[in-house]
Amino acid sequence: MTILTTAIIDGLSFALPLFIMAIGGIYSERSGVTNLAIEGLQGMGAFVGALAVTLLAGVFPAGSQAPMYLAMLFAMLGGMVYSLVHAVLCVKFRADQVISGVVINILAMALTTFLTSQINATVLGAPSNKFVLGTSNRFSIPGLSGIPVLGAVFTNLYPFELIIVAVAFIAWYVLYRTPFGMHLRACGDNPHAVDAAGVEVSLVRFRAIMISGALSGLGGICFAYSISAQFSPGIYMGYGYLAIAGLIFGNWQILPTLGACLIFGFARSGGFALTQVMGLKAAFSDLFMILPYLITLLLLVFFSKSNHPPRALGEIYDKGKR
Amino acid sequence: MRRTNRAKRAFLAVMGDEKRQRITIPVFAILLSLVAGAVVYLILGKNPITAYVSFLQGSGLLPKSSYAAKKSMITDLMSMLNAWTPMLFASLSVAVAMRSGLFNIGVSGQMLVAGLITTVTVGYADLPALVARPLVVLIGMAVGAAVSALIGFLKYKWNINEVVSAIMINYIVRYAASFVIKYFLADPVSRQSRAIRDSARLSLMDAPVGGLKMDIPLGIILAVAAVILVWFLFQKMRLGFEFRTIGANPKAARYAGINVGRNLVVTMALSGALAGLAGVTYFMGYYGSIQPDTLISTGFDAIAVSILGNSDPVGILFSSFLITVIGKGSTYMSSNVGVRQEIGSLITGLILLFAACGAFFRYMLARSRQRQAESERLTVQADDGEEAGA
Repeated sequence: MTILTTAIIDGLSFALPLFIMAIGGIYSERSGVTNLAIEGLQGMGAFVGALAVTLLAGVFPAGSQAPMYLAMLFAMLGGMVYSLVHAVLCVKFRADQVISGVVINILAMALTTFLTSQINATVLGAPSNKFVLGTSNRFSIPGLSGIPVLGAVFTNLYPFELIIVAVAFIAWYVLYRTPFGMHLRACGDNPHAVDAAGVEVSLVRFRAIMISGALSGLGGICFAYSISAQFSPGIYMGYGYLAIAGLIFGNWQILPTLGACLIFGFARSGGFALTQVMGLKAAFSDLFMILPYLITLLLLVFFSKSNHPPRALGEIYDKGKR
Repeated sequence: MRRTNRAKRAFLAVMGDEKRQRITIPVFAILLSLVAGAVVYLILGKNPITAYVSFLQGSGLLPKSSYAAKKSMITDLMSMLNAWTPMLFASLSVAVAMRSGLFNIGVSGQMLVAGLITTVTVGYADLPALVARPLVVLIGMAVGAAVSALIGFLKYKWNINEVVSAIMINYIVRYAASFVIKYFLADPVSRQSRAIRDSARLSLMDAPVGGLKMDIPLGIILAVAAVILVWFLFQKMRLGFEFRTIGANPKAARYAGINVGRNLVVTMALSGALAGLAGVTYFMGYYGSIQPDTLISTGFDAIAVSILGNSDPVGILFSSFLITVIGKGSTYMSSNVGVRQEIGSLITGLILLFAACGAFFRYMLARSRQRQAESERLTVQADDGEEAGA
């Protein structure tokens, strides 16, 4: 396998989980609720998924792929339930949304780290700070993977990549083509108009945040299960924040955000490949990881006029205020 | 019905009016989380009181049953103060920005830059301590201020949300620092940056004092001075007044002739200088080295610590102390009670969660008090009516 194919394969498998978390962020932010909690949501989701599989480890025959799908389901549920904290704080308790997000990240990290160690010690009887997960199988699409260079896109895929593409498509359809999606987008721009149309703003925002939690959880378990094959506190690498960079770069729209996430993913894997080819020390890959953040910052500087956050983003909805 | 009413009334009376709530709400948040923590201990079959006492023992506030050679309650206390210093600076940094209505979520990044640049310039240089230490402090402040002022400038010039740019800068700094550490500064054994010279270190480690070996954080003096200065700035100085006015209502501030844009950059620079001090007291004091691939959590915890302390220098003195005691005492608690030490950060997280609900508590209290006042007025009216009828 050439280095170019590896770079494409790795770039794609990094970009897609990022993309699905960013879509979650788009849902939340387009409904008017700032979501800095993605980092915590993905960690909590991954934790719940990993925990479920670890506890049920004896049930499945060796080599079965069922645990992975189960992990995904539980991760989505876990992320969704945990996102209720953000929803209650922001929508019902009128807390500052940025503060709420930061606190949720801190709490998620503390809670999952504590529970992982404690459950390992008391339930499983092994002092460890991580859950070791099975490895995901990979597959190539016959025919398509034979195309020179571009075939890499269809080679050595993780099953999660197809799931993410499917979920992303549904998310796109719901956001842009259904009444719910329209209400959601309107809540972020002009919640009073939504209210006047007889739709409960807080309900729409609640749902948006829960979707965001579920999608973040899905992204988190992809990083934990397939890419690192374990759940450990190392899950808090800042990819949730990278997803936020992605959705800002993508101007809070799903398709441009996909582009942003792909750029981030390929910048990373391309960086790794380049350090290998040029025989540089591994430390240089850190320099390439600067790129996504730097590009986003520069984009904000140069295109600040065409970058439009939702108009009511971060504002607490007050019915009486006009 | 009657009883719940009385309990509610007593609760409202204890929580007090809005002025008293500045103290009672954070205390309430802390109590709630201690109760929640106690429940966790009970579930695990441990005694929560022993656990909480061990936190205090571990951080040198209560005597332990036995001590290793050359250690005592004083050495534990000093070691806790050593950890407290950067937390205090970081929380002040957040508070200064927050008073002007700005979020400095980039404290961790600013700390890291300040730590890295002082490590490179002064940390390994052959300088006498009397030159090296002030140099570390000054360079750290300047670097932190510069990075943070950039965030303010981006907001002023291009209206880029400071939260967004701070997050980007955090990660740019994180990866850049990792590269520098791994490529130039790495210690082959620890994989962190090589330990700095003692002459540049802002904490004296294992210093022999009166038969004991203790850590002496020199930065704590600066930190306490900073608390006083920030208090003075907000209470007595024109600049602090302008900051507060902008924080309360930027439009009114502009109308009153305050230069909002300039103040924005100045606030962020000031906040960054404090973050820089947090960075040097952490990396060049408490820790003495820098780990690659991490943004330390102090900068994020500081946001919540500052909220718990009402963004008020005196409040922060207490809230940051509490959070540090929990963090520092958790190791001893773990060995004494047998619960993983991570429960310390869990309790901290809960305190911060309840503190974030502060606005909601305030809102609920205001509503309950209003209702109570109303129902009292109605009863009084009803009584008057009866008397008139009789």
